Amino acid sequence: MNLTTKMIVVLTVLTMVAGGLLSYWDGITSPRIEAYRLEQLKQAIAEVLPDHESYDEVKADGMILYIGKNSNDPEPVGLAFEAIGNGFQGKISIMVGISLDFKKINAIKILEQLETPGLGTKIVEDPSNKEDRFWFPNQFKNLITEPQIDVVKNIKPGKPNEIQAITGATISSVAMATILNDGIQKAKSIYQLKVQ
Amino acid sequence: MKLILLFISAAVVNNFVLSYFLGICPFIGVSKKVSSAVSMGMAVTFVMTITAAVTWLIYHLILVPANLEILQYVSFILVISSLVQLVEMFVKKISKPLYDTLGIYLPLITTNCAILGLALFAVLREYNFMESLVYGIGAGAGFSLAIVIMAGIREELELAKVPKPFEGAGITMIVAASLALAFMGFAGLISV
Amino acid sequence: MAKSKTTLRYEFLKGLWDENPILKSLLGLCPVLAVTNSAINGLAMGLATTFVLLSSSIIISSIRNLIPNQVRIPAFIVIIATFVTVADRFLAAFFPLISKDLGPYVPLIVVNCIILGRQEAFSSKNSVFRSIIDSSGMGVGFILVLVALGGFREILGSASLFGVTVLGDWFQPWLVMILPGGAFLGLGIFIGIANWINDRRARA
Repeated sequence: MNLTTKMIVVLTVLTMVAGGLLSYWDGITSPRIEAYRLEQLKQAIAEVLPDHESYDEVKADGMILYIGKNSNDPEPVGLAFEAIGNGFQGKISIMVGISLDFKKINAIKILEQLETPGLGTKIVEDPSNKEDRFWFPNQFKNLITEPQIDVVKNIKPGKPNEIQAITGATISSVAMATILNDGIQKAKSIYQLKVQ
Repeated sequence: MKLILLFISAAVVNNFVLSYFLGICPFIGVSKKVSSAVSMGMAVTFVMTITAAVTWLIYHLILVPANLEILQYVSFILVISSLVQLVEMFVKKISKPLYDTLGIYLPLITTNCAILGLALFAVLREYNFMESLVYGIGAGAGFSLAIVIMAGIREELELAKVPKPFEGAGITMIVAASLALAFMGFAGLISV
Repeated sequence: MAKSKTTLRYEFLKGLWDENPILKSLLGLCPVLAVTNSAINGLAMGLATTFVLLSSSIIISSIRNLIPNQVRIPAFIVIIATFVTVADRFLAAFFPLISKDLGPYVPLIVVNCIILGRQEAFSSKNSVFRSIIDSSGMGVGFILVLVALGGFREILGSASLFGVTVLGDWFQPWLVMILPGGAFLGLGIFIGIANWINDRRARA
């Protein structure tokens, strides 16, 4: 066997063995990864829409609306959707649970964020606040979304549609409000178009 | 407009070297002199731009339709190493002076994590073809910026008295730390 | 140094200090800097890298005579990338939280110069057994530095170690240590200290 043939044979065999091994491994790991993703999604929806027993998915325009249902109630109990936008350094994605008229947020859960550790990450959890580590995300519980969510600095929010910004992470705080405002508008128009 | 923002974001705000730690080996290894840092920066930018385009095509036109995303890493790294080889041969053919400047740096680029990192990030962020291309150029520009600044500082450092154990890599790391802090000032400028 | 350069014991121990991949050879620095914001991430990254290093060394040293010299680099890269994919999928399937934290730095093990470097310098020329010893030594050396640096940054930056709070309320965490700047600073200090110890040992 001359050198060129040997080179081609060795590389081909090697690549084929690698490909075979990987597709076998893909078969083992993929279902688990997918199952984990689904479970995380279900858990997030359950957290922001506590009363629902099941949900329907409505897909449109790159967004999925999860419409929560309960057997005791003929009407849907509310809906959830994922709002994505830019934070301080990277994307923030938030699962939002909201009333059917889009006027009141039920709760939110941050799915992904890349904010500055120790400052912007307080949008998820604030270890420096001993009474309530989750004071920032908790502000969104039962928050009124009309005319829009506003951010106030250094004072306690006075109106039902206001949240207080995190000291030292104003940009992250404002980004949260912007992402939610935009996401709610988009979800609302999809809901009106597709469901009603 | 979005593309311009993307370029600035990749070049300064999320600088590959100073906030993602990609391409550290050449950043430390080839930053003793400004002239060689410039050449390295050019070589990396060149390869990054081509890589961004080619890996996008491979991922979206071959791997995704064939449902073979699991081969992503294997195929990307193979493509990058063959690309580097091709670029090397090409540069050698068309321009002798350019080859003399870039030549020795090109083989080093295969194991430069910034290149593979770029290809992976572009997939992860679901960029389209144009965005990937701009992202590649921006990331290359950011790498060049960081390595040239570093080389400029190190040339001055030659004259400074540095405690002996910190000479070389140690002080370079500490200078990089202050650079990284300075670059953090860009964060929040824009985010794409 | 009294130890002979060729004993198996030395083959293992050299990775821990004398030829430590990070502190001495300055190889594979991207993951070292990127994922050491906590000790646990450092440990996970170290283990994943060691797995890839060890598996690739075993395969490459056992087929080293079959691979023509001209295509050895592409062949090594294919083998390394395969094991990296295995490790990446394993983490995503069984340790999803860690996998999320390490993010794209797991695939970047492919271009970790330590791995390709050991294949070039050692596994492609030595027996399987010796390659295993060499890779384990290098792997352990890599893990030790990653965990130490991760722990150092975690204690100063978040007042905790392996996620458990170790410093009381009196300590105001130095946020900078878990930011990119802290990574460079921490590694710079580690390299400086390592050089200092070596200088002293050489003089003694």
